[in-house]
Amino acid sequence: MNSVASFTVPSVTHAAVNAGDLTDKVTIRNLDFFYGDNRALKDINVSLYNGKVTAFIGPSGCGKSTLLRVLNRMYDLYPNQRATGDVSLDNENILDPAQDLNLLRAKVGMVFQKPTPFPMTIYENIAFGIRLYEKLPKSELDGRVQRALERAALWNEVKDKLGANGQSLSGGQQQRLCIARTVAVRPEVILLDEPCSALDPISTAKIEELIDELKEDYTLVIVTHNMQQAARVSDYTAFMYLGELVEFGETAKIFTKPDDRRTQDYITGRFG
Amino acid sequence: MADIAYEGGALSATETVDRAKVLRRLRLGDSAFRHITRVAAISVLIILSGIILSLVYGAWPAMQTFGISFLFDESWNPVTERFGAIAPIYGTVLTSLIAMLIAVPIGLFIALFLTELCPMWLRRPIGVAIELLAGIPSIIYGIWGLFVFAPFLQQHVQPFLIDLFGPIPILNNLFAGPPYGIGILTAGLILAIMVLPFITSISRDVFEAVPPVLKEAAYGLGCTTWEVARYVVLPYTRVGVIGGVMLGLGRALGETMAVTFVIGNAHRISGSILAPGTTISATIANEFTEAVGDIYTSSLIMLGLILFCITFIVLAFARLMLMRLNARVGA
Amino acid sequence: MALISGANSPLYAKRRRKNVITMALAFAATALGLTWLVLVLAVLLWNGVGGLSLAVFTEMTPPPGAAGGLLNPIVGSLMMTVVAVVIGTPLGILAGTYLAEYGRYDKLSSVVRFINDILLSAPSIVIGLFVYEVMVASLGHFSGWAGAVALAVIVVPVVVRTTEDMLTLVPDTLREAAASIGLPRSLMIRHVAYKAARAGMITGVLLAIARISGETAPLLFTALNNQFWSLDMAAPMASLPVVIFQFALSPYKDWQELAWTGALIITLAVLALSIVARFLGAQSKTS
Repeated sequence: MNSVASFTVPSVTHAAVNAGDLTDKVTIRNLDFFYGDNRALKDINVSLYNGKVTAFIGPSGCGKSTLLRVLNRMYDLYPNQRATGDVSLDNENILDPAQDLNLLRAKVGMVFQKPTPFPMTIYENIAFGIRLYEKLPKSELDGRVQRALERAALWNEVKDKLGANGQSLSGGQQQRLCIARTVAVRPEVILLDEPCSALDPISTAKIEELIDELKEDYTLVIVTHNMQQAARVSDYTAFMYLGELVEFGETAKIFTKPDDRRTQDYITGRFG
Repeated sequence: MADIAYEGGALSATETVDRAKVLRRLRLGDSAFRHITRVAAISVLIILSGIILSLVYGAWPAMQTFGISFLFDESWNPVTERFGAIAPIYGTVLTSLIAMLIAVPIGLFIALFLTELCPMWLRRPIGVAIELLAGIPSIIYGIWGLFVFAPFLQQHVQPFLIDLFGPIPILNNLFAGPPYGIGILTAGLILAIMVLPFITSISRDVFEAVPPVLKEAAYGLGCTTWEVARYVVLPYTRVGVIGGVMLGLGRALGETMAVTFVIGNAHRISGSILAPGTTISATIANEFTEAVGDIYTSSLIMLGLILFCITFIVLAFARLMLMRLNARVGA
Repeated sequence: MALISGANSPLYAKRRRKNVITMALAFAATALGLTWLVLVLAVLLWNGVGGLSLAVFTEMTPPPGAAGGLLNPIVGSLMMTVVAVVIGTPLGILAGTYLAEYGRYDKLSSVVRFINDILLSAPSIVIGLFVYEVMVASLGHFSGWAGAVALAVIVVPVVVRTTEDMLTLVPDTLREAAASIGLPRSLMIRHVAYKAARAGMITGVLLAIARISGETAPLLFTALNNQFWSLDMAAPMASLPVVIFQFALSPYKDWQELAWTGALIITLAVLALSIVARFLGAQSKTS
């Protein structure tokens, strides 16, 4: 993996992107989002492609996290927040009020900024999510837990202490536990909301490596304020500013010759 | 600006002396105030030790006469001056147990409703109503229990219970005897109504202490509201909930007026929860002013000491639990 | 457009059923709890309003079978409450000040805080026994003073707690600003911190008054009772809760009715105090 933090020459890692094969996993059309009367997202139109990593970048408050929370309708937990427009996942409208949120969220997993291990053992943290959807015999469940932990590159570190409390792990391990927990439910899309912002550089490198592996099986969406990270891990990048989607395109292009002046200003560090 | 700096900067000799005087006076006042507040703080400890010492002093004759057997003796006879605490202890524990069995699940469910389900605009009114009701004096619950609740139980509920459990072996003993209306069960139910607001408002507070992101993570996995409550909120707040429950238990154990009206004041241990009984606080409230003789009075104070010890342990445990939750939320 | 499929799997149907059932239970519990509590108030209002008349506030407690009012217990309760507040409030405020200001982090404070929290919920009948031992048994007679002291012992922990909580809310920057102009700690506390926390501290005192105005157990064998008009704090003194207790348990219809009326008066007073306290408390938090 090309982990050198340089975003002026990122094209090597993402050379394989071929526009011909792309299919939409999530299609967002005319999306507006409101906190009360405050319009936080303005007419967003973008497609998230199947099996690709899409990064959303932009200064704080630009709406990138809000957009992420629309994709699994997390905003539904709070009053006075609403989205209008059209967001479809495999041609199913997820903004439909009749949409079953539990099923949607099982299909669209999420990893948060700060690690969120549940107050239970490491094993239970993973098994809990699996049991929600499948009734498995113990041996099979054990296998699923192990595979999820392996998938999140955590198995070797925790295999001897599966009974320990999830909160006893280090921050980086906790975050990988949360990724394992998300993966274990077998989602199709994984949302990552600044997953490394609370982690040290070594843990960050591990998570980034993991993202690279996960895209074989999942469609990933990552929100980050770290442009080098976006350049390193994503295939596509969207730049957002003040609630608008300014520019969307292949990561290599966004970071080398953006069309929009604001994008260029941002990636060259002139504001943000 | 310059003027102020100048005035502040250059003090004449007399001014320096004055200022030193002022400073000394302030320092004296400061240390006096500090000591007064310290003494006031210590007085809280003095109150506690005063309670313990005066109770031990008052209970001393009974301790000497009956020794440890006071704790296990069922007799309570002012004529022969033989006293034992087991019947009131039994009544105290049993009524509180009944109260907690009813109030804890209901209180937790109400707290769950208030934190997870209730529409925002209704949360405050219901929350405030519950807190106001926690402030209603217990004598109100007592008088209500005596005139309204006990007759209702006697006529409608207890005959039904007796019929229902009559044919079932073990349970028929628990619900045996005529429907008096007043008795252990009635006292337990009244206590339940009384402690419900406490348990509800503490549980709501601790449920609200769960970081939203943890709940979001669970919802993000596709959990239902119940699953989030059962597997994330409850485990996370476990110590706090236990603390709240213990606090409610402490209230129930020490409650006097709500119980005295409806317990029936019978110094005996009956297998049936429909039968009249007594509790420590009801015994003291009913008999203290009429008690004649040192041993009788002393035995009642001894009961008070026992009650204080039991509630002290329960309340201390409750506080430790709540402190542990706070430490975690703070970290 | 279609919805996400999978809703038909039996496991998911079961989970959803469980969720619906438990949420219905939560709703039912709330309805039940509120109904009970409304029922208590409604019955109280129903039984108490009938007896409410001017005579209640102008006449003495009657012997059984005669007409009368609750004047002497109302006055007795007021007097003992005032004395209890006068004794308990300064003590509570000073102790709370030590916990929040001088000794916020020291060992003594953590012990006092812990003990205070226990006293906050300690059985009030035990406090009655304590004051009986100290003031009644030693002096040989029941008295209004003893009743007031018993109530003061209940006031102290409530005031300590709210004072400490409110002073802790005063931002440290305010303390630093006061210190930076050379104000000694005690003046800072009295002129800055108390002012900033005043509404909250008054809330605490009101809550304490609400708490003691219904207390019966600690008065039973300290102030005892008095059927006659008496303003002498050194003699036994009537109080509303004790009269309610005595009258409610009596076999006489008139007395029982007066007990209901007294209960209504206490409840309304307590509710009014709590509402004012809450209002002040809410204000102190927003300001």
